[in-house]
Amino acid sequence: MADVLLSDAEKTFILHGIQDNLREDGRGCDDYRHMEIETDVVSNTSGSARLRLANTDVLVGVKAELGVPEPIKPNQGRLEFFVDCSANATPEFEGRGGEVLATEISTILSRAYDNPNALDLKSLSVIPGSQCWILYVDILLLECGGNLFDAASIAVKAALFSTKIPNVSVLKGDEGQMELEISDDPYDVKQLDISSCPCLVTLSKIGYFHVVDASQKEEACCLARVIMGITQTGLVTALKKEGSGSLDPESVFDMMETGKKVGEILGKNLTAVLKEEAALGKKRKLVGFLR
Amino acid sequence: MADIRLASACVRTADVNPNRQELDNLVTPGDIITSDTGFMRGHGTYMEDDRLHASVAGVVDRVNKLICVRPLKTRYHGEVGDVVVGRIIEVGQRRWKVDTHSKLDSILMLSSVNLPGGELRRRSEEDEKMMRHYLKEGDLISAEVQSLFMDGSLSLHTRSLKYGKLGQGTLVTVSPSLVKRRKTHFHNLPCGATIILGNNGYIWIAPISGEENEDSAGGGYEQNLEPVSRIDREVICRMRNCVLALSQNKMMLFDTSILYTYENSLKFSVSFSFF
Amino acid sequence: MPIDTRRITGPETSQTPYSFCKEPEKKALLDENQERWDGRSHDQMRPTFLRAGVISQAKGSAYIELNKTKVICAVYGPREITRREEFSMKGQLTCEFKFATFSCQLRRQHQPDNQEKDLSIQLLEALEPAVCLHKFPKAQVNVYATVLENDGSALAAAITCASVALAYAGIEMYDLVLSASLRLAGDIVLLDPSENEEFKPQMDLQVNNGSLTVGYMPSLNQISALTSSGECQLDVLTKAIKLCIENCQKVYPVIQHCLMKSKNLEE
Repeated sequence: MADVLLSDAEKTFILHGIQDNLREDGRGCDDYRHMEIETDVVSNTSGSARLRLANTDVLVGVKAELGVPEPIKPNQGRLEFFVDCSANATPEFEGRGGEVLATEISTILSRAYDNPNALDLKSLSVIPGSQCWILYVDILLLECGGNLFDAASIAVKAALFSTKIPNVSVLKGDEGQMELEISDDPYDVKQLDISSCPCLVTLSKIGYFHVVDASQKEEACCLARVIMGITQTGLVTALKKEGSGSLDPESVFDMMETGKKVGEILGKNLTAVLKEEAALGKKRKLVGFLR
Repeated sequence: MADIRLASACVRTADVNPNRQELDNLVTPGDIITSDTGFMRGHGTYMEDDRLHASVAGVVDRVNKLICVRPLKTRYHGEVGDVVVGRIIEVGQRRWKVDTHSKLDSILMLSSVNLPGGELRRRSEEDEKMMRHYLKEGDLISAEVQSLFMDGSLSLHTRSLKYGKLGQGTLVTVSPSLVKRRKTHFHNLPCGATIILGNNGYIWIAPISGEENEDSAGGGYEQNLEPVSRIDREVICRMRNCVLALSQNKMMLFDTSILYTYENSLKFSVSFSFF
Repeated sequence: MPIDTRRITGPETSQTPYSFCKEPEKKALLDENQERWDGRSHDQMRPTFLRAGVISQAKGSAYIELNKTKVICAVYGPREITRREEFSMKGQLTCEFKFATFSCQLRRQHQPDNQEKDLSIQLLEALEPAVCLHKFPKAQVNVYATVLENDGSALAAAITCASVALAYAGIEMYDLVLSASLRLAGDIVLLDPSENEEFKPQMDLQVNNGSLTVGYMPSLNQISALTSSGECQLDVLTKAIKLCIENCQKVYPVIQHCLMKSKNLEE
């Protein structure tokens, strides 16, 4: 990851600040930085979203394509995550520089979504065993300002919310073969139910305390973090310790408790804001990439 | 706890200040500034077909016969005597490499720092071995630009007690062009924090330390790692956010502007962050 | 995906014939008496066979067998870092986790896939806190874990096995890392799940359905690896972590004994 150098004294300052529950930018330990979200920003996608979390900037595009289901899950659609660490974010990502980070983000995301309740994949099946919708979720990191995991997951959830999949009708052709008829009416679409999609919450252990939504400086002070996938109802869909340090069992439990609390609120706030945007309908003012 | 807003609902800076002055002497690369040959060519310009063109996007600046274009956003151009804040990025042979937000890494020679034990001490081989002990990768320093090398990289010095290694505090980076050149760049602000406005756009905000023991044996390399009090910390947080707010609105940074912003911000709680 | 020119690769995609069976044989998690299929009680581990020093040319090595899950692990180094990036007084640890191509029900590719990359990172992050990296500055230690046969709980086996191999290699460590995994399914908790007991996402809708792996350092009382999948309630997960830790503490003396015995055999 794009690491920042810090002196020992700066680290001490950050550490003591967290002990006082007053972080460098004035936040408390359980606070996120302000987020700005917008959906439907790229017209060539089935659904897209852009999230700005302070300096972290993530763009997610979802493309729905017809393909073959996995043989072990013949009556389900597929969900695939790809992360692209753009060299726009930092020159360190040039070439294969961001590959490790990209795999880490995509695996934890696919793990968090890898349970039957997260997203109703059965509704994406077209002809069981031979045709289904594949949702390619492409995550593009435009700027790194700390806490990429959470930002990516929030943007993914928003992009899935805005995803519109055209309705397909299966017709029996002559000689018994199947024919697909895809509706080209932009309003004849189905949308996904994202109410139980998880968001990732990263808890970074700094000193004896933990914080959510660590900034880049704080990430430089942190040796071990716990990443959790939390649904709106507080279920844990993925859990992972990350980083080169180890953690006391008691503090792991504390962190999980905080993660659940914060994750529930995060999910609810996100859904509320997405609904608000959807309700605006045509009155919505598109901001796009102009700032 | 987790505040999410719609991008369209956020207030843009441009909306807030609609009657902001438009600059009329803005140019883009390739623009002809003048076809009058009586002018001298300065930075950010080039001459072709007897006409003076701009080579950067920025504001045309004319001093008598000299025409320069000041770029809108730039890395730091050092000048002798500037106060800078920098971060050590490499320890080398009798020198440290320092990141000062300029095009090339700056150099801090072992011979241009104060070492413990008095100013007039000879640098021994022992000192060379102890270099990482004095300043190591990641450490922040305040320094003055001593001279410029041929390639434009800076040579720094810390041979005054006001310069040297920085202790606890927070660093904010802004565009160098926003830092107003003043007589002094070190300020102990009455609200209870000390601020170093580096000419290079690195701004250091720290708690006001007690009276420095001038001839301490540590020579400024010993650091106080005691926790900073909550009150001081709040002041620092608030000031950091004020500096960022000013920088986001492209306002010049100097002691008065920061202090006024600070005083006006007191009606809000500190836990609001731009970045 | 880069093409490996040194191997003749098979067709780009191939599928096991079993997935085309009319009714894929669906085995329930437990048999009709709510017992596990292999006759173990719910909180019983499989018999563990562990030996250090199985690869003579490696600095350290270990082999672990949990019935049909078999993992072999080799440790090389400390040796000079070939591509050094930044000055650091710390040593470097690298880990590679590999499934042998024939180890699973479906054939795996030679080139590491995403799951293997992920497991490599998890193995690394499980071991890193335990190794005294500052003791071998500028040098690297490489850990290679190969799963010969996968019948569930491969990561847990690999973590334990690799830490024994590291200890056997004489690399300075704060503690051993032991690992345990379990499967949650409703009220049922199965320790050390085998392949068909492990969590698979296509299973029926149910809360508290998932699996968990914990890496634990018994003398320091620290968790060094933690990973779960599936959907669980927080308190259930907390209890499950505690159970894993308990189990690691239980096997600790056995692992210590094994390490001692392997060292004695050598001398």
